[in-house]
This record gives sequence, C-alpha cells and structure tokens, in this order.
Amino acid sequence: MARFHPLTVTDVQKTIRDAVVVTLEPDDPAAFAFLPGQYLTFRHDFDGEELRRSYSICAGLDDGLLQVGIKRVEGGAFSTWANEALQPGDRLEAMAPMGNFHTALAPDAARHYLGFAGGSGITPVLSIVRSVLAREPKSRFTLVYANRAVNTIMFREELEDLKNSYLGRLNVIHILEAGGEEIDLFTGRVDAAKCAQLFRLWIDVEGADMAFICGPEPMMLGIAQALREHGMSDAQIKFELFASAQPGRLKRRAVSAAAQSQGNTCAATITLDGAVQNFTMPKDGQSVLEAAIAADMDAPFACKAGVCSTCRARVLEGEVEMIANHALEDYEVERGYVLTCQCYPLSDRLVVDYDQ
Amino acid sequence: MADTMSIADYLARGGVLSNPENVPPRYRAELMRLMATFVDSEMAGSAGFADIINEAPGIAERIAAARIVLEKADHAGRVLAVMAEFGADTAKYATHQPWTARLARDADIGPTRSGGDMRLSVFHYPLEGWLDAVVMNVLMGRAVTVQLAEFSRVSYQPLAEAFRAILPVETRHAELGEEGLRKLLEDGALEAAQASVDYWWPRVAASFGAADSTRLDQQRDFGLRHRSNAELLADWRADTAALLAEMGLRAPG
Repeated sequence: MARFHPLTVTDVQKTIRDAVVVTLEPDDPAAFAFLPGQYLTFRHDFDGEELRRSYSICAGLDDGLLQVGIKRVEGGAFSTWANEALQPGDRLEAMAPMGNFHTALAPDAARHYLGFAGGSGITPVLSIVRSVLAREPKSRFTLVYANRAVNTIMFREELEDLKNSYLGRLNVIHILEAGGEEIDLFTGRVDAAKCAQLFRLWIDVEGADMAFICGPEPMMLGIAQALREHGMSDAQIKFELFASAQPGRLKRRAVSAAAQSQGNTCAATITLDGAVQNFTMPKDGQSVLEAAIAADMDAPFACKAGVCSTCRARVLEGEVEMIANHALEDYEVERGYVLTCQCYPLSDRLVVDYDQ
Repeated sequence: MADTMSIADYLARGGVLSNPENVPPRYRAELMRLMATFVDSEMAGSAGFADIINEAPGIAERIAAARIVLEKADHAGRVLAVMAEFGADTAKYATHQPWTARLARDADIGPTRSGGDMRLSVFHYPLEGWLDAVVMNVLMGRAVTVQLAEFSRVSYQPLAEAFRAILPVETRHAELGEEGLRKLLEDGALEAAQASVDYWWPRVAASFGAADSTRLDQQRDFGLRHRSNAELLADWRADTAALLAEMGLRAPG
C-alpha cells in the first residue's frame, strides 16, 4: 500500500516567473530511488484539508539529486504554496516515485529518441534527456519544446548547458506561440500539421526508436497522430498527461447533520453516469452496491471483498458503516469515499455519487 | 485549437492515459473491472492447470504444463501491479478467491460470473484429465490471443504495455496446446478429442461476453475497447474452426 516518506527541502530555485525547482533530501534515500520520467506524489495539509499533488522529477539518474519542477497553476493551492511559501528547511512528505513514462536504458544502445514537451511538460522529459545522455553515450535526443514565449521557457539554460556538454547529441527545437523566432516553422502551436512540417524538413522520424510526449491533451493527440502517420507503433510512443487536468482546490465536503435513525429502511439517492435514482433500501442485509444493482443500476464492482476499489463512490449525505476496507486510504475515507460493496446505511437518508 | 480539452474528449479522440492521477471515476471503474477479470481468469486458469501437471504423459508435456501454470501466474501478477497503482491490495487480492474451485462439469452458467469472482465463466468448469485440459487449452488459448490483441490497444498505457508483453507468451501457450493435441491425435484419440471440443466450444465462446453488451459504447468512448464482442467472437470461430478442420476435428454448429 501507498506510504508517505519524509523529505527536507534543501533548495528552492525560481526558473521562470511562475515555476520553481525544489531540491529534496529524503530521510530514507532508498525509498526514493527513481527511474527517469517518474513523479512524486506529495501531501500537504491546507486548513485541515489534505491535498495531494504529483510533480515530475526533473533530475537525471546521475545528478545525485532529487529535484522536482513545480509550475504554478491558476487557483492551484499546492503549486501556489510551493511557489510562494516553500523554503529550504521545510519538511515535506511524498510517496515513493511512481509512473511509467520511461524506457529501459542500455549503455551499448545507439538510439535516437524524440521528446515533445509543452510548457511544464518538460519536467519528466528533462529527466529522461539527462539520463539518456549520461547513460547511453551512443544515443542522441531530439527535443521539440513548445512554449508561449521566450520568458516562459522552463529550464532554458539547463538545456543549453546540456547541448554544450554533449555536443551533437542533443538537438532542441523551440517552438514559440508568439514572437521569438522569425521562421514560420518554429512559430505557432505544436499540432499534427506542425509535426508533419517538422518531420518533413527537420526530424527523421523513421530513424527514431522511441518518442516521449508530455503536454496538454490536444498537443499530445496531434503529435501522436503525426508520429503514427510516420510509421511509429503505439509501443514506441510514451505519453505522460498531468499538467492541465489537475484540479484546483478541492471543495470541502458539506458536513452532514447528525444522522438520526428512525426505522429500518433508508431512502437512497444514487448518482451513476450522470443519472440519479431514488429508492428505498433496507439498512441491513444488503450493501449499497447490491441495492444499486437491485435497482437496475449498472454500478461498477469487481472483487466485492473491499480489495480492488472498483466500486468506490462518495457519500454526499448520510452515514454508512464500511465493514471492510483494504483499498481506500485514510484521506479518501475522510473525504467521504467508500467501497460500496462493504457499505450498509446507518442513516435514514443516503446520497451516494459514483461519478466523483 | 484550445489549450486543453476534457479528458472525455481526449479519450474519445484516441488519447492515452498513463497514471491514476487523471483517470475519471467511471473510466477507473471500467479499467479496474477489465483488469480484475484478467487477473482472476489467469489465477483460476493457472490454478486449474496445476493439477493437470501430474497427469502429463511425458516429460516434455509435464514441462509444458508447468510452464503454463508458472507464466499465467506471472501474467496475473503483472496486471495486479497495475491495479496496485489504483490502490488495490495486492497481497490480499492474490488469495481472496478460491482459485482452484470449480463447478460441476454439467453446470450451465452461460457467461455469468459468480459472486465477486471475476474470472471468465469458462474457468468455472472442471478439467477432466490430460486430453481434456489440452483441448481446453487449444480453444481458450486461441480466444486469449484474440482478446489480448484487442486489449493491447487499451487507452491506459501501463496496461496496454503489460498486455503487449503478455500476448506473445500466451500465444506460445496456445501453440503448446496445439503440439500436445497433435500428438494425442497421432496416438488415435480423435473421438475423445472431438467430445472435448464439443464440450468446450460453447463455453469458450461464452467467454467473449454478451453480443449486445450495453457497456461497449462507453468502453469505446474511453478507448478501452475498439471492437465488439461479436466481432472478436467471429474472429475466434473462423480461426479456430480452420485449425480444428486441419487436425481432422470439427467445430460444433
């Protein structure tokens, strides 16, 4: 099960106006052995509510550092706090590195990697670039890096330094939405059409072994489409999607009035796939999941033993007793998440939402 | 072009997800269900085949059966590792169902599941001896190959990668079954083999699920499915009937 480990912040550097690079020193370094492209999930308490956010590691395997890049998201509690208040000496908690945005490196390999990063999507790609250049001396890397303007380019200097340290092995193509380059090819958004141009004039996709894409959704779709049209298979294209979809501050759950039991049945309101159903269910003998299924709802489930977490839903009103829970973590339970296969109503009224 | 789009649009247009962070609730549920079905089926398949090892007629066959038991358990473990990233308790999961349990040979459960056990219905039926196990392995092996080719395209990249690694090994299991069946047929087991084919054919066919599955549209929008149960079943029927005919066996109706 997921466990959090303590770390100390040793350095906080601004890279651009609204992004910081945070250097961390784990109490237990073994817990933070990582693969390039992986991310850390942090937790922090904001006014009594725990928030969890994931940020990619930007350090390479041989940098001897644990570093993440955190770009401030409008209205994002965690990223704003990290950009404005986080200081050396602060303590943080994070889970061991996770994620599958990587490929196995081999010292003898002579590969050509392609990377596509949009904005802060550079963070995991940078870790991969650094690790490939250091660990595969015969491999080279071509990075297409999209940004709004020159002053929003994260790690611009670091990339220049890498180009100079590994002469001829790293090619960085900056594409700016506005200003900067005079040439049309390097201006605008990175979509399928832009990629087609780049692949015709600048990048040899047929000779490439693996592509990494990290950026906003439309950009990833466009690039993947262009790569497939140039003969890359799904197995050669690695995706990482984070940045744009992380929600801002979570709303606090309305505290339900003390549940008062009146009878042996419960008026249940269950939301599933946007549809709401009301029915009466017994308080014992039937789990919330079973009641939903009995009411002809296609409620999701798999193990029915509180192990797999498929039947997870959120209680919005009322109270339930959860008999077994081997899958949800404390913070999820605090927010009202339950495993419906293990839940029996305690209150006379219950509102459950499977869509949250 | 906007800077962002909803995850639903992204998936409907062929987008790929790569970690539990951005997975919407309903997608998560469908994905977990798909994974639980695979894990339970591999666990039950492996457990059922374990008893068959001792019935193997020779050393090569014994090794083949043992290898199938081993590798199917390994495949369950690989997919369970993906489930673990979503919070599934892997240690508990691996033992939470009696994987060796089987119904009566003449039970007729159609495509239904039993309780919380998500194994495909075909894995609820008992194997009756070496020949029967070999025939079941040939028919189901071909079905798994068809199903895994479909699931290798799922929009959850870590799972697609796991399935792409598993597919060639499962394909080899089906081939081992074919080699075993050819040997049995050379030794004159045609009649017994045909009886086994007749028994397993409809049960393996049922493992493709209902032809009119109501969840398919949703699964398609999520990129978790691309082809329908009926299309996959038709592929399996054609492919497996041809194989049987070539061996001198007949596919029922």
